[in-house]
Amino acid sequence: MASKFNQWWKRTRTIRDAPSYAEGLLFGAACVGLVLLVWWLLTLGEGDARLVDAYTLPSPRETFESFPELWKRELSRSILISLIRVLGGFLLAAAIGVPLGIVAGSYLRVAAFFKPLVIFGRSIPIAALIPLTMVWFGLGEFNKVMFIFLATIAFVIFDTLNTVHAVPDRFIDTAYTLGARGSRKKGARIAALAGLVYGLLIMLGWHLMRDDPARTLATELTSSGAWIRFTAGFVAGFALWFPIAGHQVLRKVILPLALPDIVNSLRLIFGLAFGYIMLAEVINAKTGIGALIINSQRRGFQEHIYLCLLIITLLAWAIDRSIMLLQRQLFPHIKHGEA
Amino acid sequence: MAKPELTASEQPCELKDAAPPPAAGQPTVVDFQSVTKTFDADTPRAFTAIRDVTFAVENIPDIGEFIGILGPSGCGKSTVLRLIAGLAPQFPATSGSVMVHGEPVAEPGPDRGFVFQDYANFPHRTVLDNVAFGLECQQVPEKERRERAREWIAKVGLDPKKDALKYPHQLSGGMNQRVAIARTLIMHPRIILMDEPFGALDPTTRQRMQDLLVTLWRELEATVFFITHDVPEAVYLGDRVFIFTPSPGTIAHQLAVAPPDRPAREMQQETAFLESVRHVRSLLDKLEAEKHNQSP
Repeated sequence: MASKFNQWWKRTRTIRDAPSYAEGLLFGAACVGLVLLVWWLLTLGEGDARLVDAYTLPSPRETFESFPELWKRELSRSILISLIRVLGGFLLAAAIGVPLGIVAGSYLRVAAFFKPLVIFGRSIPIAALIPLTMVWFGLGEFNKVMFIFLATIAFVIFDTLNTVHAVPDRFIDTAYTLGARGSRKKGARIAALAGLVYGLLIMLGWHLMRDDPARTLATELTSSGAWIRFTAGFVAGFALWFPIAGHQVLRKVILPLALPDIVNSLRLIFGLAFGYIMLAEVINAKTGIGALIINSQRRGFQEHIYLCLLIITLLAWAIDRSIMLLQRQLFPHIKHGEA
Repeated sequence: MAKPELTASEQPCELKDAAPPPAAGQPTVVDFQSVTKTFDADTPRAFTAIRDVTFAVENIPDIGEFIGILGPSGCGKSTVLRLIAGLAPQFPATSGSVMVHGEPVAEPGPDRGFVFQDYANFPHRTVLDNVAFGLECQQVPEKERRERAREWIAKVGLDPKKDALKYPHQLSGGMNQRVAIARTLIMHPRIILMDEPFGALDPTTRQRMQDLLVTLWRELEATVFFITHDVPEAVYLGDRVFIFTPSPGTIAHQLAVAPPDRPAREMQQETAFLESVRHVRSLLDKLEAEKHNQSP
C-alpha cells in the first residue's frame, strides 16, 4: 500500500506525467468539492454566527433552492434573448470579417490598407463603446447587435488574416504549378449565391431586430426599404466572396486549409462576445440574462445572481463543446486540441 | 560541338565535362543566359542567390534529359528550379534570360511540375483528390479525373482501393512522396522540377523511389531537374550532373554520367559507379575548400 502510494506520488511529481481519464476527473471533482466546502463553511450557521452574512453570500442550499423562483422569472426566455443578440452581432461580424480576412491574408496590400482600422478596433476599450452605441443605434435590439458586431469585428478580421497568412507557401506554390488559376465564371456563380444569402439575412434580420408587432412580414416584404436592404446585402456578399471564389488557389487551397483554424478562432471570439453581451445588458436592457442579473441585485435576490453566473458558465461551456464536436465532424484530417 | 556520347556497356560511369550550350537557333527545352538573382537589390541587405548561371538543355525528340543538381547548402539550386517554374519571389530573375521551349517564362503552369521535399500534399484532401487536383483545376469531369487519378495511384505503387481514400496524415513519408509524384506527373509535364524530393526518406525507401522515378521518367519522356545532397543519387539518376559553387551560386562543372539502366541497388554497388561518385565528391570538396580559403 505504502509503495503504491509512493509510486503514485512519484508520478505526480513527474513533469508532464499524464493522469488517466478517471484520475483527471477525480482531481476536477476535488476542485469543485473544495469550492463548495469553502462556500458551505463561510455561510454556516444562522444570523450573526455566520462568517459571511446572507446578503453578501447566500449559502449553497439557499442558492440552489431558489432555482424554481428564478425559473418563474422567465429564465429560459432571458437566455434565449441574450443568445440571439450575441448570435446576431457575431454572425454579422463573421460574415464580413472572415471573407475580408481571407482576402487581406492573400493580397497583402489589402491587409496593409485595413491594418490601421484593425489595430484601432483591437486596442479600443470595448466597454467604452457602450455609450456611443446608444447614441448611434438607440436603446433597442439594434444597439445590442451592433455593439457585439463592433466589439468582435476587428478580432475576426485579425485572426482570420493571421490564419490565412500562416498557410505555408509550399501549398500555394504546389497549386500554381498544378495549374490553379483565376476562374471568374465559377467565382461569379458562387459569389452570387453568397450575395443571395447575405441579402436575405440582412432583410430578415432587420425585420426581426425592429421587433415591431405592427409590421408583419408581409408589409415588410412589400416595403421598398426591405428590397434596398436586400440589394445592399447582395452587393456586399458578392463583393466579399468574389475574390475568394474567383481564384482556384484561394477557393481550393487557402480557404480550406485555413478554415479549421478560422472556425477555432471564431469559437474563441464567440466566448468573448458572450461576455460582452452581459456587459451591454447590465448597463441597458429590459430583457436578457444581463438584465436578469442587474434586476436581481436591485430587488435583493442575491441567490439569483449566483445561479445566473453558474448557468451562464455552464451554457458557455456547453456551446464551446458543441462547436468543438462540430469541428471534429467537419475537419476529420485535423487533430483538435483542448481549448 | 555535340554532347559527349557515353554508352553504358563500354564505360558505365565515366565522367566527362559536358559540352557548352549549343549554338543559337537550335531548339532548347530550358535555356539560361547569364541569369542573376539578387534579393533586395540596392539595399544594405542585398543578397545574390545565383550569379551568371548559363546552361542549356537541348530538345532531343522523344527523350527527356535527367539533370542532377549538386552543390553546398544555400548556393541557389532551388532558385534555379523556381525560376524555371516561375514561382515568386525568386521569379523573375534580376538579369539574364530564362527561356523554356524558346519562350520567356511568364508564370507557373502545369507544363512544369514541381515536387517538394516535404511533399506539400493538401491535408484536407484524400489521396485521390490530391492526385486529381490538377485535372480538377482544368475542369476535367469528375468521373474521368477520378479514373485517371486511380491509374496514377497504381502507377506510383500505391493501392488504388485501399489508399485512395486515405488522408495524407495517415500515410508514411515514402507513400506521401508517391502521392506528390503522382499528382505532378498526372499533368504530363514536359519538365519536372524536383527539389530534394527524397531528402526525408530512409535509405531503403529512397532507393525504391529512385527506381520508381526512373521507370516513370522513361515513360513520360520529360526533362527532369533533380536537386539533391546525395552524391550517389545524382550520379545514379542523372544523364548530366551540374555542380554549383557556394553562394552566390553559379555552375562550376557540368558532367555527363552514365544513365541509370539497372536497378539502384545493383548499379550503386559497382566499382565504376563508386569511382565516379568519389570523383564528384572531390570536386565538391574542392569548391568548399576554395570558399573557406577566400573567407578566412
